[in-house]
Amino acid sequence: GDPQNLKCVTHNLLKMLCTWDVSSRGRRGQTDFCYTTNDHTPQVCFKTKERRVEIPVPESSITVTIKSPGTAFATKEFVIHQKDISFAPVTPHILSLTPDFPTSALNLKWSDNGSVFPYGLDALWQIQILRKEAKEEVTKVTYYSKLINEDVILSWNWTSDMPLECTSHYVKIRCYINATQFVGPKDWSDWSPVEVIPGKDTEPGGSGVFPLDTVVAVGSDVTFCCVHEEDQRITNMTYGSKSYTMMQLSSRSHAIRVLNASASNSSGTNVVCRLENGMMDGSVVFVGYAPDIPQNLSCETSNFLIIKCTWKPGRPSGLYGGRKTKYSLFERISSKNVSCEVNEMSKDRVCGFPVLPDQKTYDFILDVSNPIGQAQSSLLVDITQRVHPKTPEKLTVTGNNSTSIQLRWFINGSFAGIRLLCQIEIISGHSEKKLHNVSMPGGKSSSYTAQLNALLPNTKYQFRVRCSDADHFWRWSDWSRGLEQTTSEA
Amino acid sequence: MAAADSPSAALRRRDLCSRGIRLAGKMRADVVDLLDTYVEQQGLDASATVAAVEGVPLAAVERWDEQTGTQRLLENLAAYRAFRALLAQMLEEQREQLGEADAGLGRALAAVLLQVSAFAYHLEELLRLESRGIPGEEEDGPPPPPRLSLFEQKLRGLGVLRELAQWALRSARDLRQLAKPSPATGTAPGLAESP
Repeated sequence: GDPQNLKCVTHNLLKMLCTWDVSSRGRRGQTDFCYTTNDHTPQVCFKTKERRVEIPVPESSITVTIKSPGTAFATKEFVIHQKDISFAPVTPHILSLTPDFPTSALNLKWSDNGSVFPYGLDALWQIQILRKEAKEEVTKVTYYSKLINEDVILSWNWTSDMPLECTSHYVKIRCYINATQFVGPKDWSDWSPVEVIPGKDTEPGGSGVFPLDTVVAVGSDVTFCCVHEEDQRITNMTYGSKSYTMMQLSSRSHAIRVLNASASNSSGTNVVCRLENGMMDGSVVFVGYAPDIPQNLSCETSNFLIIKCTWKPGRPSGLYGGRKTKYSLFERISSKNVSCEVNEMSKDRVCGFPVLPDQKTYDFILDVSNPIGQAQSSLLVDITQRVHPKTPEKLTVTGNNSTSIQLRWFINGSFAGIRLLCQIEIISGHSEKKLHNVSMPGGKSSSYTAQLNALLPNTKYQFRVRCSDADHFWRWSDWSRGLEQTTSEA
Repeated sequence: MAAADSPSAALRRRDLCSRGIRLAGKMRADVVDLLDTYVEQQGLDASATVAAVEGVPLAAVERWDEQTGTQRLLENLAAYRAFRALLAQMLEEQREQLGEADAGLGRALAAVLLQVSAFAYHLEELLRLESRGIPGEEEDGPPPPPRLSLFEQKLRGLGVLRELAQWALRSARDLRQLAKPSPATGTAPGLAESP
C-alpha cells in the first residue's frame, strides 16, 4: 500500500518525529526512508520496520521518500515545509510535590527542560489542581518563565483553601513554548503524569477534624473537615454553637465552610463532628488578630542601669498562652536582643534593656509577633536625654534654725556624670505653695541636700521634693513623701 | 475489720469519717460548680457524651454492699491519687493554653485539686487507723498520657470532672458505711451518721 498521512511533530525544534500509515494492509517489512533538505545536502537513507522515524527539523523544507514493501515497492515522495510541522514541547515531569500541612500549602518543583531550546524563549506552564474523589478541578494557573538554554528547576507554591488532610490533592502540569521563529503550528505539551498528596481519608484508620488546633485571623473564611471511617456517618458538624451545612469531599470526608470567622474566646472555638455512633471528634481553632503596630514607643532610664521601654499595644490579639503575642527588643548598634516578658492581661507594656557600657545612643526595634502576624516599631534615643529619676526617698531635716532649714534626701540610681535639677515644694500655713529649684551634680545612689533660707520663724512648713535631669529635661520624678517641720523661734 | 475497736480508735474513726463526709460533700459542690464553669469556658456542650477517659477510675462499682471497709478505703485512695495527677495535668494544660487569660478557671481547678489532695491524705489517715499499710504511690507516678489534641484535652477534662463528682458522692456513701458499727461485734460504739 502507498505510504500516506505523513505527519511530523517536533518536541524540541531540532528533531521531529514523523509518522505515516499505509493505504492498504500490506505485508509489514523493511521500509526504505530517505530525506533531503532543500540546501542540497546529500540524501540520507535508512531502513526501518517502524512507520515512524526521527529526523532533523528543516530550516524551511525537507523532501522525504518512503519506499514501503508490498507486491511492488510503492514509493511516495513528500515535501514537508516547516509550516507543516507542529511543535509541542516534550511532556514535562513533576520533580517533587511537597505538602506543608500546617499551612495547607503545596510546593511544586519541575524542570523546564530549557537545555534543548534556544536561549530566551518564553514558556508558559499550566498547573492544574484537582481534588476530591471525583478529581474536580480546583484551579488552573498559568505560570510564565524564560528558557535560558539550561535546565532550570522551577518552583511554585499554592495554598489550598482547605487542609490538605481533608482529601487528596492532585497536580499536573503542561507546557507551551512561544517559539516565535518556528512557523509551524504550536501546541501545548501533553499533561504530565499526575502527582498526588493523599488525604487522611485515604489512610486506613485515618480520622479527625482538620485543621487541628490552628490559629486564624478574624474575618477569615475557613474550611473544616471531618475525616471518618468508611462505615460511619456524620450526624452534624458544628462550629462553636452553630451547625453548618456539610459538603461531601469523599466517602470518608465531609467539610463545612465558615465565612468571616469572628474572634474566639480564650479557650478557642470548638469545631465538633458528631457521628451516628454517638462518638465525637473535634478540633479547636483560635481566631484572633495580628498584633497592632506598637504605638508611643518610649524609652527612658531611672538609674543608668536599666532602660525601660513602654508602648501602647493597640487592639488586643485575643490570643493567649502559647499563642500569645511575643515581644522582643532589638538594639541595632550593639546587635543585642532581649525578649520581653509581658502579661497580656495588663494594660501597660514594659520591657527592660540593660544600659551598655560606653553607649549613649540606642537604636531600638520593638518586634511584636503572634501566629497571625508581626509588627514593628523603632526608636532612636540618646539615653542621657531620657533620665527619669526614681522617687526621692528618706526626705529628712538635717539642720534647722528660725529662718532656714536644711533638707536631705536619697535617690536610688547612678547619676554620676549628669547634673540633677531638684524642685522643693514649700507649703506653709500663711502663704501659698512655693517651688524652690536647686541643681547639683549627680551621684551614684547617694543622698542630696539643699538649704532653704528666708523662712519665717516659728512657722510650720510642709516640704516635698522631686528631681529631673538638669541639662536635658525629660521628666520629673514622682514627688517624694511629704515632710512637716516647724522653724524654731526667733 | 474483724478485731473489735478500742473506744478511742472507734471515736477517732468516727471523727475521721464524719469529717471525710463533710469534705466529700464540699468537694462535690465545688466540682459541680467547676463543671458548669468548665463547660461554658471551654465552649463544650453540657450534654456531650464522653467516652471513658483513660486513667480515670470509675465510681460505679458492682456489689457495692459486699465491699469491706479496707477495700472501700483502698479504692477511694487509688481514685483520688489518680484524680490528683489528672487535675494537676489539667491545671498545667490550662496554664499552657490560656496563660494569664483565664485565671478564674485555673483558680477553681487549683482549689479542687487542693481538696482532692486533702481527701487523699484523709483516706491515708483512715487506713493508718485501720493499721493498714498505705499503698506506695507508683514511683514515677502514672505513665504520661498520650499527647492529646486540644479538643480531646477539653473532653478529657469534662470526663475527669464528671467522674470526680460521682466519686465524691460515692466516697460520702463509703464513709457512712465505714462509720456504721460492724454488725458482727455490735459492741463497738456505733459511729453516728454525719449530719
